[in-house]
Amino acid sequence: MNDHINDSSLNILLFLCNWGAHTAFLTLQDQRQPIPDEIRMVRTPCTGRIDRAMLLKAFAKGADGVALVGCEPGTCRYGSGTATSKRNTQDVQQTLDIMGLGGERLRFAGFLPEQSGELLAFLQEFTAEVKALGPAGTRTVPATPPMDMDQHRQALRQLVADHDIHACQDCGKCSSACPLSLIGKPFSPRAIASAVITGGIHAPGVRENVWSCLTCGLCYDRCPSAVNFPAFIKELRHIYRQADLPDQEVHGGFFHSLMRSMSSGAVTPRRWDRLPEEIRVDPDSTTLFFGGCAPYYDIFFGKHSDSQTNRILLDSLRLLNFFDVVPRVLPDERCCGHDLLWSGDRENFLRLARLNVEQLHNLGIETVITTCPECYMTLHTTYGEQGLTPRFRVIHLYDFLEEQIDKNAVGFKSLDRAITFQDSCRLGRLEGRADLPRKLLKRLRPAKFEEMKESAGASICCGNCAWTGCDSYSKALQVKRLEQAHATGSDLLVTACPKCQIHLKCAMEDPFRREQLQIELMDLTSVIAQTIHWEG
Amino acid sequence: MSKKTQSSQTEIIVTGFGGQGIILAGRILGTSASLGDKKESTLVQAYGPESRGGACNAQVIISDSPIHYPYVDKPKILVAMSQAGYDKFAPTLDPDSILLIDQDLVSLEHAVCDHYAIPSTRMAENLGNKMMANIIMLGFCTAITQAVSSEAVQATIARSVPKGSEERNIEAFTKGFDYGLSTLKGREKRAIGRTGAVLQ
Repeated sequence: MNDHINDSSLNILLFLCNWGAHTAFLTLQDQRQPIPDEIRMVRTPCTGRIDRAMLLKAFAKGADGVALVGCEPGTCRYGSGTATSKRNTQDVQQTLDIMGLGGERLRFAGFLPEQSGELLAFLQEFTAEVKALGPAGTRTVPATPPMDMDQHRQALRQLVADHDIHACQDCGKCSSACPLSLIGKPFSPRAIASAVITGGIHAPGVRENVWSCLTCGLCYDRCPSAVNFPAFIKELRHIYRQADLPDQEVHGGFFHSLMRSMSSGAVTPRRWDRLPEEIRVDPDSTTLFFGGCAPYYDIFFGKHSDSQTNRILLDSLRLLNFFDVVPRVLPDERCCGHDLLWSGDRENFLRLARLNVEQLHNLGIETVITTCPECYMTLHTTYGEQGLTPRFRVIHLYDFLEEQIDKNAVGFKSLDRAITFQDSCRLGRLEGRADLPRKLLKRLRPAKFEEMKESAGASICCGNCAWTGCDSYSKALQVKRLEQAHATGSDLLVTACPKCQIHLKCAMEDPFRREQLQIELMDLTSVIAQTIHWEG
Repeated sequence: MSKKTQSSQTEIIVTGFGGQGIILAGRILGTSASLGDKKESTLVQAYGPESRGGACNAQVIISDSPIHYPYVDKPKILVAMSQAGYDKFAPTLDPDSILLIDQDLVSLEHAVCDHYAIPSTRMAENLGNKMMANIIMLGFCTAITQAVSSEAVQATIARSVPKGSEERNIEAFTKGFDYGLSTLKGREKRAIGRTGAVLQ
């Protein structure tokens, strides 16, 4: 049929429901019917249990097509399996579309036990379609196999030397500042430090602590010996990942799979497909707006809450247009790789980073503007630290806005809201720019602006970082933060990072405390876009 | 009084409190026009009690041809940096005059002509020296009225201000100039109904 594609190289994964559909499949096997060779069947108790993270992981691990075969609507043994599967399939199809793999590589179908003929027809048709599409092209670097003990010890010694861990005076300032310790979690930064010095990093408590660390940088801020704890944790996680396969990725590793898939050069994302008409972009500009992962977040978290982080990106573009800057956007924009690096996967991070830097150089991009604090830190600082040599200038949208607002005859409409502000740890502490959003906040004309009890350099985290280590303490931390926001008497919590929005919104979902915790969230970019206007 | 209103002649009154640098602003305008832009110019500055704290003014005429009479009855451009100054000269304005004000110091009532506002004193304070409000206003005036060229004014400023403060004054001028350009841009945006960032 297809002579230009090596058929046997295709991997089509079939998740098959144990109940109705499996009987049909058995019939096909009994009758020795020609089930396509590319199909690899995984029998599952219910297709509803194959969640979105597993579906995406299949692609990250090299599947070219995934079929989810369950029961006809109404025949699900567990009632909701079919509906759940359909919903999951839809979400992952949308995600695959933006990633550039194409939603058509994933399909859901339901069959009754006696519909073996129909099942065969479906499998053959799907296989032919995937063949026509060709290989998906995702090739990721697996975790390096376990190191031998000598190498391992050497790596730890190097880590201690690189981050000057011996300078730790065991004074405990880190624990007394750490948001996790303060919320009551048995967590101690200095205990991690001594565990690394003594080589006992595989004690269960230590390992759990390393993956729970928020890497928010408060301890680094307070440490009298200036031990850069976030950077130390970042490296330590890499050692863990080399030593064994970590299972610390939350949301089933959905976002890690997403990022790993994008680290393959053969994958061409289709970002920015549906920009609102009034937004102007210029495919020849040397100024690039780098968006980030918000559209994926909105698809994934749309299931639980009303996630609208993509609006931040659209409002950023509107603000650039407002100041007559018509930027370029990359139709095939990839992830910056922040979360891969901060969850120990330096190999795939570096692949992503190299692709990004190379692409921006080839396109002759001179200035990159971004509004996501993680993209900003990663492109601005981390790429250089990790040995890449970006030749473009990276500026945060706030820097651009501050400069333009200072220079131009613009004003702000009054905003009839009492506002408070949640700092982003990446921008505020790790990049040391807590003053930057405040300059803009001061220009706004709200009914009231009041800082939370812990703010700016002392601000506490939204509860998670790099999609690892979410637990009940993260939730407690988020609740504490929301209570602080309420204590200011504000009715609008202004944020500076899409993840702060996602995490704080998640904590508000608590059915018992919804009333007390509920507060409207809006990104600073959107607040500015709503109120800014030309004078004259 | 004879009226010598030729089309090539721009008549300007700069007014404000004594001590704001009103006379200096007028002198820089006139000098720039004659030495920089190679035009004719005259300056009449208000002597007397006004220049020691009350309303004071500088009258400048810029022309392509020789100027026969240096006093200004009906200014084409009025730059007002105090309420008293504005009140004094407002009756002389025509509908086609251009009025420039410091928006924090002058409140307008029924301006007969087009007016442009800038918070020049506030901007000068943010730059660290209130005394530079006049230079900011000069930048604003240059951008809006184009009565003189920006290069000429910058060169004159560098010669007229105290030694050592040239750079800061040029910075102040640029600040006012940019604000003027963006005010004009804001007007264009307003004209096409797009003043905000988000479609309403």
